[in-house]
Amino acid sequence: MAINTVSLPDAAEGKVAKSVGVQIWYALLALIGVIGFAAWIYELDHGLAATGMRDVVSWGMYIFTFAFFIGLSAGGLIMASSAEVFGIKALKPLARLGVLSAASCVAVAALMIIPDLGQPTRILNLVRHPNWSSPLLWDVLIITVYFIFSVVDLSVLQVHAVEPTRLRRTMRLLAYIGLPTAVLLHSVTAWIFGLQISRTWWNTSLMAPLFVVSAILSGTALVTLLALAAERWGHFNLPNDTREWLRKFVAMALLIDLFFVACDYITIFWGNVPADRSALNLVLPGGPYSWLFWGEWLVGGLVPLAFLMVPRLRRVSGSLGIATFLVLIGVYAFRIELVIVGFVNPLTQFPPGNALGTYNATASSFQLVGKYTPSLVEYAITLGLCALFAAIFTTGYRRLHLADGKMIRDPLGSASLTRDEGPPTSDDNSVRDTTLATKP
Amino acid sequence: MTDEKTKYVPHHVMVVDTNRCVGCWTCAVGCKEINNEPLGFWWNRILTTAPNQSTTAAPPASENIDVPRGVFPDLELAYLPVACQHCNDAPCVKVCPVQATYRRDDGAVLIDYERCIGCRYCMAACPYGVRIFNWGDAEYAPGGIVGYGKNYYDDGRLVFTPERPKGVVEKCTFCVERIDVGEEPFCVEVCPIGARVFGDLNDADSEVSQLINEGGAVQLHPELGTDPNVYYVPVRKRVVRES
Repeated sequence: MAINTVSLPDAAEGKVAKSVGVQIWYALLALIGVIGFAAWIYELDHGLAATGMRDVVSWGMYIFTFAFFIGLSAGGLIMASSAEVFGIKALKPLARLGVLSAASCVAVAALMIIPDLGQPTRILNLVRHPNWSSPLLWDVLIITVYFIFSVVDLSVLQVHAVEPTRLRRTMRLLAYIGLPTAVLLHSVTAWIFGLQISRTWWNTSLMAPLFVVSAILSGTALVTLLALAAERWGHFNLPNDTREWLRKFVAMALLIDLFFVACDYITIFWGNVPADRSALNLVLPGGPYSWLFWGEWLVGGLVPLAFLMVPRLRRVSGSLGIATFLVLIGVYAFRIELVIVGFVNPLTQFPPGNALGTYNATASSFQLVGKYTPSLVEYAITLGLCALFAAIFTTGYRRLHLADGKMIRDPLGSASLTRDEGPPTSDDNSVRDTTLATKP
Repeated sequence: MTDEKTKYVPHHVMVVDTNRCVGCWTCAVGCKEINNEPLGFWWNRILTTAPNQSTTAAPPASENIDVPRGVFPDLELAYLPVACQHCNDAPCVKVCPVQATYRRDDGAVLIDYERCIGCRYCMAACPYGVRIFNWGDAEYAPGGIVGYGKNYYDDGRLVFTPERPKGVVEKCTFCVERIDVGEEPFCVEVCPIGARVFGDLNDADSEVSQLINEGGAVQLHPELGTDPNVYYVPVRKRVVRES
């Protein structure tokens, strides 16, 4: 067999690595990453004054991007585990992709917190002096557990993909653990916000369910996009019934997500409590943050829903890609809205407002209604970490040979077994892999 | 000193009489001086409100201070000096992931400037907006005043330092360095109208106890259950203009 004659994984990998496209891709990511790292060095030197955050809006892009990545991560694992737990065969081809995406996202989310800290060198205080009543501490804990779990899960899935008979029960067990862990991960992140009595915009028991459903929505959308990209550039095989499932899955999650958000709006609207209404008015059409409303409801809501559900639009080529991309924009808009609007109207709001914490000779040191514009440093660091996600995912995708189900490197050391038992399909794939890889 | 502590722990409270406050900002400026607060920092600020106005009301019409509410000649004006409320059930203490913010037995909520990691979760959690973050290097007015000027440790923890490090959160300390040696917080001392009273709520005869138990002094945002140790005597009577 072809697999026996050549030590295929390494050979294929070597050839792929030489492909010009991949090298340009890595170079681009490295460039963005280096710019982001340089921006972080600058921020360490100048303090968080280098960001657009100040005392009224004291969390910004790092935190809402963090929440976004946590959602993407939780969603990836929820989707991958549901394939096993609920026996959705059509989603099984995406299991490893989903877990790889989950692991990469949670790693990047954890890193996203570092530039947000004023004293990053003291981060070990989290271990030395933990305060168990803080949702943030629980979030750090669950993120750590979740990251380790997703790496273990990925390793087991690798072995299982090599040899379907081995570790089958472990894999199923991990899926059963993974599903609640992922739900918990995003719930705890939601409770960072949802438990705060000081921010009426956050303080709703709907927060955790809303975060979980938006995680399922955005995580599945991301895995879909990654699978489509992998199909386009990485020889990934995305079966038609899988596409159909993804389409339904995303559409359903989107409907539930919008329903939850609408429930929140209606509760505030009907109750008409001044503090709640002034926050909602910022978001509704006519308010200064209405662009987030449109981002969430139109760009990331009705339009993708049309692409997913209206038969004529559904048949447009690339409709699934367009829809999932827009969904990601919508969920990101939701994260921005949640964090920023929560801060803009402080609970105790009388003139002159809160002290800003920085001095500007030409403007007041106080702010009554919060204002926030991310600085270039924040954009650079955030984009740098997004590039890191892309790099981790690309490398993982290639090193773990996700493109085809069988021919992979086994992290637990049963590589010889693979090569002996490789079924014909994997041979075909491997041949295609090596031949295509020579093309630029 | 430690013997005294084990013997008796007072319950420190502050009462602000809003009938007396004229919004002169002396307490806020005094606070800045004693604590060497950099430019753009105000641990203590005087909010412009209407008499006994609900703290959960809609946002005010004006962004400027000293603007009365209403239409001439029916105008209303009152002041609400707000610094850290030193809550007994403080949201900031609950959320701090590293126990850098903690509540001392006498009721003062303090920050350990050597432990704070600068995550600013406490600022998100505080309903009173009294916490200030050291975003960059502190700027001072030329020849600025240093005030107390020494480090102060509470049980080995650095709770006051004249120049707080970049990247930590700071706020009103109830002037622990002063109250621990029997002095009053500086804002109480400098208030020219005697609108601020500081004392021990455990002592039923103290002025603060009288003001709280009989004078009807109330807490800010009592509905949140944070149980602050700062109280406000409501405006007792409105001055009705005779026409």
